[in-house]
Amino acid sequence: MQLATMAWRTLMRSKRRSVITAFSVAFGVLLSVTFTASGDYAYTNMINTSAVMGLGHLSVEHQDYQDTPTLDKRLLDAEAVQQKALQIPGVTAAQVRIMGQAMFASGAKSVGGAFIAIDPARETPAHNIFLRTLMEGRLFSAGEEHGVVVGAKMAEKLNLRLGKKLIFTMTDKDGELVSELGRVSGIFKTGDDSVDGTVVLLPLALVRKALGYEPSAASLVAIFLADHRQAVPIKTTLARLWVKSQDIGVLTWQESQPDLAGLIKVDRLFNYLLQFLVGLVIAAGIMNTLLMSVMERRREFGVMMALGMMPGQVVRLVLLESCWLGILGLILGVIITTPWFFYMATVGLDFSRQIGEDYSAGGVLVDPVMKFRLYRESALWIAGAVFSLTLVAGIFPAFKAGRTTPVENLKQG
Amino acid sequence: MRSSMLPGLCKLGCASNSAKPFFGSLSGARLRANGILTAYENKELSYFIRMEEQTMNNTPLVQLENVSRIYQQGKVQVAAVTEFSLKVQAGEFSVLCGPSGSGKTTILNLIGALDEPTLGKVRLEGRDLAELGRSGLARLRRDRIGFVFQSYNLNPVLTACENAEFVLALQNIPFAERRRRVMAVLAEVGMAELAERRPDELSGGQQQRVAIARAIVSHPAIVLADEPTANVDSATADAILDLMVKLNREQGITFLFSTHDQRVMDRAHRLIHLRDGRLERDEVRG
Repeated sequence: MQLATMAWRTLMRSKRRSVITAFSVAFGVLLSVTFTASGDYAYTNMINTSAVMGLGHLSVEHQDYQDTPTLDKRLLDAEAVQQKALQIPGVTAAQVRIMGQAMFASGAKSVGGAFIAIDPARETPAHNIFLRTLMEGRLFSAGEEHGVVVGAKMAEKLNLRLGKKLIFTMTDKDGELVSELGRVSGIFKTGDDSVDGTVVLLPLALVRKALGYEPSAASLVAIFLADHRQAVPIKTTLARLWVKSQDIGVLTWQESQPDLAGLIKVDRLFNYLLQFLVGLVIAAGIMNTLLMSVMERRREFGVMMALGMMPGQVVRLVLLESCWLGILGLILGVIITTPWFFYMATVGLDFSRQIGEDYSAGGVLVDPVMKFRLYRESALWIAGAVFSLTLVAGIFPAFKAGRTTPVENLKQG
Repeated sequence: MRSSMLPGLCKLGCASNSAKPFFGSLSGARLRANGILTAYENKELSYFIRMEEQTMNNTPLVQLENVSRIYQQGKVQVAAVTEFSLKVQAGEFSVLCGPSGSGKTTILNLIGALDEPTLGKVRLEGRDLAELGRSGLARLRRDRIGFVFQSYNLNPVLTACENAEFVLALQNIPFAERRRRVMAVLAEVGMAELAERRPDELSGGQQQRVAIARAIVSHPAIVLADEPTANVDSATADAILDLMVKLNREQGITFLFSTHDQRVMDRAHRLIHLRDGRLERDEVRG
């Protein structure tokens, strides 16, 4: 008679109690999936949104650009960097960009802001949130040397409309002030006033000329990945390409967006803490149930030990019951969680009435619709954690069963 | 040679001092060399040879030497057994009898390695049980002692067959061998056709038969039976006792009972009378 079979039959002897206990495990699975999947979705969303706001999942830039982002810090051959990056598996796009600070003026008004110089022939809305959120006009074409795209808030401040002129003044690579004239071809609205009031898209060629850059120079190459979780390994691959160059550095989104990375880290830790506390409560319930079952069967254990069952085998028997509870709980957990997960992954819960459409955190816009996304690693982690917790809950009852003596147990009714 | 024949050989050996040449001519070593015995059958043969040697050397199977068992109940010390000595030889069909509280069950627990004496020594097959740890005592119970309890104590989640083979499973006997032996023993106790039933599908008498099968299937040195007829009707009790007498006579299994059931006492070769935890008198019958 295998101990595992005995353990299963013992559980099924008290079907109702076992099913109720298994359902508490299943509930733990549901909660864990809810916390983890909502987090995975939100974090992925925020990371991808921050990527398309300018710096990508990875950025290749001048070694010192991150510390002092002045326009003299540049990649001399950004085009070559882009070509190399596109050959790496996992990289879906690479965009050459110049980013810096400038003064923007129209008529009698002026505001400070930031510009992102892009190549209209290669930029796509998939990798540029400002193109995705155009509300008026269009992106300037490759032939439009002086086209600009401004945010809705800036347009409001400077009284700009499509076709109106905009003057922008910046410091070139030699530290000299330079100015250029642009004409508004499009207006975007992300919903975040701090972004809409400060960011302007400019033509890459115009900015290169104005700054006195080399024909292939740029501030950085923004690299986009199929999976943001591959940022660190792909950084290692990229860094090897330029290991001999002292001027080129590769930054992950965590390094270029430390506020966002910190926010996600803290939120994730809090998430784990919450799951752990919920897990403790569930484990306490499981332990109580198993302990009750052990106490009720003391005479049975006494007989088994009298017949020659080793204390270790008694411990194993109770732990196997715990194992079976964990397996049953996981199966029930998958059954009750699947429809919930399916709904949340496709429809989600819309909180835009509560938090508004323009809620941001860590400098990044947050999607007000809460949805689920569960990576395979997260699913496996949840299954492993829930199962382990069930097993741990069985340790004390198992040792309680194994430590008693047969003669004490045989005296029980 | 099949293991079913070994009990018969033991009976021959136990009954007669002239058995030594017989066993000598059928030594385990020679049989192993001829590839006749399996490893398990060889182990069984060794057991029977050992029993034979004990009988011939007059070594008691069980020996209690001035044993006392004192329990602490709150602030009071209660002596369940006081300075009790006993020798039980292999092949006996003996009874510990006396009024309630006389120490019968305590003595059975001490012999069965379920409890340890406060004073004195308990030996089984010459081995002092105090020298064994928890695991050693568990192994001893598994391999050398069979138990029949008053309330059968079958595992409710196992079938009759699985209950009977429980000890063999603990001994890691292969499944096929296990089943073969258990079915033979269940046939012996008249339960072969009900082997797949669970305890809640069996009567009290049937459950006790399964318990007896469980106790004897591993050929223990001794079977300890604590009030085995207490929870069955008269007819069933007689049938069970006759079965035990038959096993004792034909297979030489040693039985030691704790009971005040006259039917058991009538069948016993030896009555060990207890009172207040002490030996009152030791009555050997013809």
